[in-house]
This record gives sequence, C-alpha cells and structure tokens, in this order.
Amino acid sequence: MIEKVDRTTDVKPIWCRGCGNYGVLGALAKKALPELKIPNHRTFVVSGIGCSSRIPAYIDAYGLNGIHGRAVAVAQGAKLAKPELTVIAIGGDGDFFSIGAGHLPHAVRRNIDITCIMVNNFVYALTKGQVSPTTPDLRRGEGPFLSQEHYPPVDPLLDMVSYSVSTGASFVAQGISTDVPHLAWLMKEGIGHRGFSFISVLTPCATFNAPELFDVIRAKAIYLKEGEPVHLLESSDSEPWTHDPGNIDRALRLARVGLLEEPLLGILFRGSARNATV
Amino acid sequence: MRSVTIGMVGAGGDGVVVLGGLLQRLSAAQGYYSQMSRHYGAQIRGGGSAVKLGVDADRFSMPRDDLDILVCFSWDKYVEFESELPITCETLVVADETPPPEVHPPPEWFSAGLADRSRAATGSRVNKNIVALGLVSKVLGLSRDGMTEAIARDHELRLLRERLAALEEGERLMTDLSLPGRELQPARDHSPKLVLLGNSAKARGALRAGCKAFFGYPITPAAEIMQEMQRELSVEGAIYLQAEDEITAAGMLVGASLAGTKAMTSTSGPGLDLMTETLGLASSAEIPMVIVDVQRCGPSTGIPSKSEQSDLNHAIYGSHGEAPRVVLAPHDVLSCYRLTMESFNIAERFQTPVVLLSDQWLGQTYFAVDDFQNSEYPIVDRARPSREDSKGYLRYQLTADGISPMSAAGDEGLVYQTSGLTHDEKGAPAFSAAVHQHLHEKRWAKLTPLRERDDLVQVYGKEGSEIGIVTWGSSASFVVETLHDSGLDEQISVCVPQLLCPLPNRVEEYIQAMRRLLVVEMNYSGQLHRYLRSSLDLPRDTHVYARAGGRPFSRRELMEPIRRLVQ
Repeated sequence: MIEKVDRTTDVKPIWCRGCGNYGVLGALAKKALPELKIPNHRTFVVSGIGCSSRIPAYIDAYGLNGIHGRAVAVAQGAKLAKPELTVIAIGGDGDFFSIGAGHLPHAVRRNIDITCIMVNNFVYALTKGQVSPTTPDLRRGEGPFLSQEHYPPVDPLLDMVSYSVSTGASFVAQGISTDVPHLAWLMKEGIGHRGFSFISVLTPCATFNAPELFDVIRAKAIYLKEGEPVHLLESSDSEPWTHDPGNIDRALRLARVGLLEEPLLGILFRGSARNATV
Repeated sequence: MRSVTIGMVGAGGDGVVVLGGLLQRLSAAQGYYSQMSRHYGAQIRGGGSAVKLGVDADRFSMPRDDLDILVCFSWDKYVEFESELPITCETLVVADETPPPEVHPPPEWFSAGLADRSRAATGSRVNKNIVALGLVSKVLGLSRDGMTEAIARDHELRLLRERLAALEEGERLMTDLSLPGRELQPARDHSPKLVLLGNSAKARGALRAGCKAFFGYPITPAAEIMQEMQRELSVEGAIYLQAEDEITAAGMLVGASLAGTKAMTSTSGPGLDLMTETLGLASSAEIPMVIVDVQRCGPSTGIPSKSEQSDLNHAIYGSHGEAPRVVLAPHDVLSCYRLTMESFNIAERFQTPVVLLSDQWLGQTYFAVDDFQNSEYPIVDRARPSREDSKGYLRYQLTADGISPMSAAGDEGLVYQTSGLTHDEKGAPAFSAAVHQHLHEKRWAKLTPLRERDDLVQVYGKEGSEIGIVTWGSSASFVVETLHDSGLDEQISVCVPQLLCPLPNRVEEYIQAMRRLLVVEMNYSGQLHRYLRSSLDLPRDTHVYARAGGRPFSRRELMEPIRRLVQ
C-alpha cells in the first residue's frame, strides 16, 4: 500500500481559480505536514473567518473553522489541554490584524507552542474587496492598491511583520504562497520551533488584488538566508551584514523594511525555545 | 433567642468582613446555621463595607429584615447601607462614635470606644474588629470553651490566636458597659457546620464534576470563582489561565473541550456579552462548555457590586441565529454546588453550552450549612466513539436521540473537521436548506429529554394548593423564607425551576394546577414572567412582582404581593 502523502480531504475548496490559498493548502497539507510525519490525529487546525479560514475542511486533521479573529484563542486552549497535539491557527490579515489583533501580544508573551499562519492577501475578499489593515495605498506611494472600483484605504497600513517582531514573538517568518517549497520549509521550521510561531504568507487574491501587486512583490522579493549577506544601508563591502535569525536587533531592523519596498522572505527571527510554555 | 440577625458596618479597612467571617466561623463550630451577605460600594478601598449575618440555632434560615444587633464603626457608612441594614427601637447598637442627627439610634445604644479599647489591650487601634468580636460573642453567649477549641483547631481562625488579648478585652467590655444580652439558645445539632461562599460552592462543584481547565477574566462579582479555580487548578495535569478578555476565555474553552477536557469559565453580564458569539459556535458545532454568570445590576456597567436577575433573556436567547443551549439557576448554596456539577453533566451528555445563572447575592454570601459534599453525585462524561467506529466516522451522525459520539482531538482514527458553518454529518460545510433544517432539528430535539428532569424543579409548601408562586435564583430563597415565616405556606406553594431552559414539564404541570399565580423576580421587566408566558398558558389570574436590583428583597417587601394572593 502506498502511504498517503497528501493530507487533503475530498472537500472541494470554494476558492477562485488562481487563488493564492491553493499554494498555502499545498504547502501545508501536501508538503509540511506529511514531511514532518505528524499523524493526522495529532494535528489540530483552527481558523477564523474568511477565504483562507475555509482551510480546515480541506485538511485531513482535526479541524475547526470557528469565529472571526478567535483562532488564536481556540488554538491556545487546545494546546494547553493536550500538549501532544500540533496546533496550527490559520486566518487572514483581517483575522489576525484587524478583529483579532488584540490576541496576538498575549499569545506572544505566553509563548505557547502553537503556529500561526497569517494568509495575507491585502484585502477582505470573502466580502468582496473591502480594505484590510494591510491594504497598501497608492497615494502614499505604497504600491498598487486594489482593483479600481473600490475606494482606497484611508488608514495607514499595519505592517504585520514589524508588529510581530516588535512584540517579541519567538519565531517570525514570511513566505509567499507562489513559492510552495520555500513556504513549506518555513511551515516546517515554524511547527518545529518550540514556542509561539508566526508566519506571514503573502498570498495573491486573484479577484480583488490589482494584478500589478504581486508582479511588484515577486520582482522585489528578497530571500533571507542564514549566514548570507543582507543588502541594507548598514551593510557594506568592508563590513557585510550577514543574516542571523537569532539576533533580535537585526530582526527589528529587518522588520522596518517596507513590505512593498523590499518584501523579505525567510525566517526573520528565531528566539530561544527555553521560555516556551507547553 | 432561637435566631439573631447582626449587622456590621464600617469603612474599608475597619475589618467588618473579617469580623463577620470570624463570628460566623465561631458560631458554625458550635453547630449554628448562618448566612452572611456582603454589602459594598464601588470603591476598592476606603468605601463602605457591611455584612448582615443571620445566625439560627435550629435551621438554615435567612437573616431577618431588621437587625437585633448592629456593630457600627462609622455612622457615615451606615447611612449608605441603611435600607439593607434597618434598625428598630429594639436593636442593640454598639458604636464607635456618636451618631449624626439624621440617624435616630434606639434606646439601647452604646458608645463602646472599640478602637480605644483595642489600643489599650494591644497597642494598636487596628484590632477594634476583634474587640467587637469578643463583645458580640459574649452578648450572644457563645460557649467560651467551644470558641477556645475552635480557635486552636480551625486554620481559618488562626488570626485570633495572636489576638486573644483583643478578644478578651471585648468580652470584658460587655460587663464594663453592662450590656444587655441577646443570648442564643444552644444549637439544636452541635455538629460543626460547613462555612462556604456561594461562589466557592460553584468552584467546588466544578472540580467535583471533573473540571480540569479554567479560563477566565476578572469581573465583579464572579472573581472568587476564578480565584478558587486558580488555587485548585495550578497543578500538573490541570489548566488555569487568566485570558486577555472574555472572548479569549470562551475561545480557549472551546479549544480545550475539543481536545476532550472538561472546561469552564465564570463571568458576569458584561463578560457574557463578549462570550455570546462563542456560545453560538458551541451550540452550532455541539461543543460542551460551561459558563457561570454571576449576575449583577445592568445594563452596561450598572451597579457591579449589587445583585439582579436581569441576564435571563440573554442567557436563554443571546446569540444570533437560533442557538439552543441549556440554562440552569441555583437558588441556594447546595444548588450552587450541585447545579454546577449538573451543568457539566448536561454539557457533556448533550454536547451543548450550559449557562449557570447565579447572582451577586448568592455568589458573595457566606453560608454555614450541613456539609453536603460527602453525598454521592453522578458524574457524566460525553459519549465517545470507539475505535471500531473509525471507518467512516461521522461526527454529526443523525441518531435517534440526536446525540452523536464525539471524539477528542488526538484520538486516532476518529479525525473530523467541524465548523460554525452549517455542516453535514461529517462536519463538512453544507449549503443545502434541507441539511440546515435537519441540523436545527438535531440540535433542538436532542435537548428535549431535559424536559423530563422533574428533579430540577423544586416545589415548596402544600401539595395541591391552588395558589402558587413561581420564582427563580436567589429570589426563591427570599420567597420561601417569607412564606415560611408568614405561615401562609399552608395555602400557597412555591415552584422553583432550577432548569430554566429547556423548561421542564413539571413547571407546566405545576402552573396548570393553579387558580392564582404570582411570579417573583429581581429584574425590571419581568423576564421570567415573559418567558413563561411565551412558553405555556398561564392562569388568567396571574400577577407579577418584579423590580430592578440594587438591594435584596426583604420579607416586609415580599409580604405585600404574597398577602394579596390570599385576599
């Protein structure tokens, strides 16, 4: 008998053609989870509300598609109750950075060993294209915004990576759903990290993002590799700055890099696992 | 005297609650029943603080309306609580200062100089409450040998071991002032009574039921439940967590419950608001959860430290869509314990959220009662699928009783995905109106056996009477006691539904036998009355006595509508 390496269910996703969520599902259910060899019954995936939050139904693991913004709360309760579970909280930028933003600093300080995957598509897509806290604004030079029929955002965007690093999350990474192998690697690192992990996934919305948005992101993307030079102002030929995810000061500096100026992909910070709860 | 009612009032820091607590413990050690309610304002420190302690030699009874004895450290503060602690011309008043003109002290009024006596005996004015304790215990004629023995034995009385000088000073004060006695008859049953706070009884009930996880957020007047759970669950193999808000607490509860752990939270009205969305999810996805709501005056912040029964509508109907749940309400300390256990049993058996509606009075009153903790109580666990069910396991299988065996995250071979979305038997999202209808039928129908729970309806008074009162929660204690004292319990019976939702058939049977009915509750709009009216046919001759909270019912107050029933 061939071992099933694909942890998807037979439920058909509701996502649009070309949706970046397929990349997230593939990275998690077809690569990260099977490759980590964590049995399906030892995995619990909880989500909020939104396009990406439909994902538990598509993954062969214990799952709950729960309440908008509250996946992190449910995840912590489950992990505390049954520490042998691998617990993953998935949601969108609205989930993690708008309605549920208040939960993040507390999850960070508790440092409970859960993995949060924020599927950032820069938009409220399920409700047909409203702005989210991560929606860039063209007028401020923040790159291409949403499709033209929608009003541009009036509030400045919240840079989720900067936010997560500044709260001292013990593992912070950013991936892109169009690079599934790299994203799966980040997920495996995040799940394997003992403590609270936060992975932001830049995810194209085929329906409401302006097509240029991901052209720009992909063109500008910079992969961070441990031990390799990082090209920032502070780095010079005489004193090159090499990437060290264990250095919080450098992580904070990296987090200040504007997402649409130079989208950084990789592990920004990996703290000590010593203080992890559960 | 067979019973005595003592009021103690002062400013925060006067040690009124300690005084009342010690007196209650000393009397309980000698077999006396008692109840001590707490009355306080909004201040953290320095505000008014009062207790009302009713001690009874024969039976577990409520304190009387009027005080037999008042210990007053501050007349200013007394004025704040006057309506809750009324004095008469027969009250023995021991005060630390001269009353202001607006207070008319009774003839037996004594300026005791408690603080000065404390300084004389102990070098500090701080022990004035212990001096008062010595004085009052002497006035009551408590057995001194019994007190000595209790102080030596009871850890909770250890404070007195170093303060015997103050206690003895108070005892001497009685002779020095030639105080008249208010001597209590010896307790009918000498066996020591258990002293328990209503909120503690709920915490203990939860632990007894097998609760292994508590998630909460501090709120008045429920904080004592959280504190007790913190003490008990901060151990290996159990979970206690103070969440960042009530939304999180409820969310964590869902996570723990899905992982197979019995979990609960406690809160008050504002917290229940925040938990309501999660309650709807738990109803939809059939996740056992227990929420204890210790009600206080609302709406909004209301009066956080005072009792009211105004969350009934919210508990029964709160949440969008139609989310069936179970609502229980204890009315005394025993039911605080037993119904918390029952909340877990029902949550587990029926895979449903359960709201236990208590209130400030019940939660923050100390009761001295016969110990009920040694009785046998059934403990129910949720139905779990067996490994044989693993082939094609259907989490929401449509069964005859509507209850589908539930695996816990971590169980091998029984993996499922669930959702707050309308879902099919597997738990997968479904968009058909027919599935939606079936799911509603399943969730509502599975709770119908609860209607047969006659044991969750208490009926007091004469069998076959045609005049009855329906009341709930702490109001029931006041109604039953008032009726008992008035002697009208020969003509009028009282029905107390402890299970409010779904409404037991026994309530309907009771009401159908009535010619005249009175509904008593402490909320402005008569929520129980409206609920009953919407659920069943009430007699044409039905009356309602409902008012907003803020102060407890008195016998005097309740006698008016009760007397009208027999006129």
